[in-house]
Amino acid sequence: MRDRHSSRLFALWHAGGALLLLGMALWLYLMGEYERIPLPAGLSLLMVVATLLDATREENSRLAAYLALICGYLLIAVELPRQSGLPALWVGLPPVLTLLLLPLAPAMLLNLALTPVWLALLGNGQLDGQMLLGYLSLVAVAALVPWEQARQHALLKATDPRDAECAATGRETLHELLASEVERAGMLGQPLGVLLMHLPQLDMAGEQFGHGARQALLDTLCQAVSSRSRDHDILGREGPGDFWLVMPDTSESGALLVQQRLDQALEQIPLMDTGPLEVRLRLCRPRAGESWPHFEQRLEAGSQSLADG
Amino acid sequence: MQTKYKSVLLRGNLLIAAVLMALLAARTPTLTDTLLIWLAAAWLTITALLLTFDHRRPATLPWQLLPILLLAALLWGEPVRHVTWLWAWAILLMLPQPRWVLLLGSLLALSTWWPLRDLLGLEQWVLSGLLLAALMLLGLSRALDLRARRQSALRRARLVPGLPLWPGERLPGDLALERKRSLREGVHAELLLLHISRHRCWPLAQRLCRLTYRFEHCYQLDPTTLAALLTSRDREQADERRAQLWRSLEVRGPARAIPLRDLRSLDDERRALACQPAGLRVIEESADA
Repeated sequence: MRDRHSSRLFALWHAGGALLLLGMALWLYLMGEYERIPLPAGLSLLMVVATLLDATREENSRLAAYLALICGYLLIAVELPRQSGLPALWVGLPPVLTLLLLPLAPAMLLNLALTPVWLALLGNGQLDGQMLLGYLSLVAVAALVPWEQARQHALLKATDPRDAECAATGRETLHELLASEVERAGMLGQPLGVLLMHLPQLDMAGEQFGHGARQALLDTLCQAVSSRSRDHDILGREGPGDFWLVMPDTSESGALLVQQRLDQALEQIPLMDTGPLEVRLRLCRPRAGESWPHFEQRLEAGSQSLADG
Repeated sequence: MQTKYKSVLLRGNLLIAAVLMALLAARTPTLTDTLLIWLAAAWLTITALLLTFDHRRPATLPWQLLPILLLAALLWGEPVRHVTWLWAWAILLMLPQPRWVLLLGSLLALSTWWPLRDLLGLEQWVLSGLLLAALMLLGLSRALDLRARRQSALRRARLVPGLPLWPGERLPGDLALERKRSLREGVHAELLLLHISRHRCWPLAQRLCRLTYRFEHCYQLDPTTLAALLTSRDREQADERRAQLWRSLEVRGPARAIPLRDLRSLDDERRALACQPAGLRVIEESADA
């Protein structure tokens, strides 16, 4: 949903660019400079193509970004040297445009590679030290903002306990929480149970029925499990189709009861595309005196064998 | 691992930018300009030195305002010399920042572009204004996506990757959960509140996390208050562990330990903590519990 929203924004932006170029062509027509008209007119067509690309695709398209970039570059390269104004103003435009349109790595590569081109074009063939320094510092400083964005993204990913796709706990947090629950159970002398679950239909649902069916499968499982477990039980996602339900202070018989109840309840849930929800379950408990890394390995192996059938 | 690596690269880029700004400053003739650019270089260097991989920095607003104000000052002071930097407005809008800072940035951008009219001539002035507006919109739309994600995630995200240190917004929910759980399991759980001076708070928070068990979550309630949920088998073990924790933390400010089953209101306890003299005060469990 969010992707679609932002891709609509990008489509609007490209449409704005097309209008801007058309306006420029019109202005040149009014000024009587007919020989300069074909470039902005042609580029505005390119921008229309970019708009359509963005409007029809769900994710914002890389191709549209490159088209917009090419338009910007051509306009700057052909139009700007003949303007008698300030070359120092226009030399700052291409690096910023590149950084806004492309991801950081390709943008920086392009910016550094094109340094001599822009300086030669705008400096009329002479190397202007002041302009070079200004250009390079703008490139270095402007790159910091996408860097900061990437850092924030990574930070959110590393600190958000939730899985990106469903309401379950993410894998890293799951392992941390499970380690702490094992520690707690050891210190307080309580039993602990982990219920391994595998959704064999998940891949098939995604391939045959699309993203919606896959999401419905995940949501149904999370909803069904969390409504049948206690507040402090932890449902975490170990792999794409593998889930672990951590049940602190639960004896073996209690855990088996939960397994049985869940099995029955999940079987009865009908889904639109995939039919009845199919889930494989297996209970796993720490042995007396077993260390956490060993238990973790055993859980992972159990999950794997459950997935293999 | 990969995220640490990226932090190093970002730090490198910050330092490169700082060096370039210093070079620029050395080649600038007028005094105010030189000072401004040196200030920018210093800002970049200090940011590089302070850079940490956690959720604290974006909170310090004056630090974020400085680049905007510096850019505006440069463009007002000597537009001819620094006109290249006009386009930086578009990219500054991409930073995660509050709405009013975005508005201020846009207004400052307008105010630095407006006086360029005499310098550029009408045609180029209008063209550059339209292009700048388009780029700023593009920058904004790139920022929107991250903003939405941040706002929903920050409430539940931990403050440092890998440490059980959480934002204070989570404490009330976790308190209710932990109280129910400790009653059901028949274990002793208590809330430890610590009041510390601002500059010691952050190192102490990390120390607190390392000294407690991994299942005992710690919270930063405000810049000077920390909280931890301690769980022990019974009252005696709790007393022993708390005393040991208190010795190894070496805190001199006021602190309070409240058994969860006696905790009525978190706000009342925080107020009581603020009025309390230094030292650890343990609230005794009421007899009826």
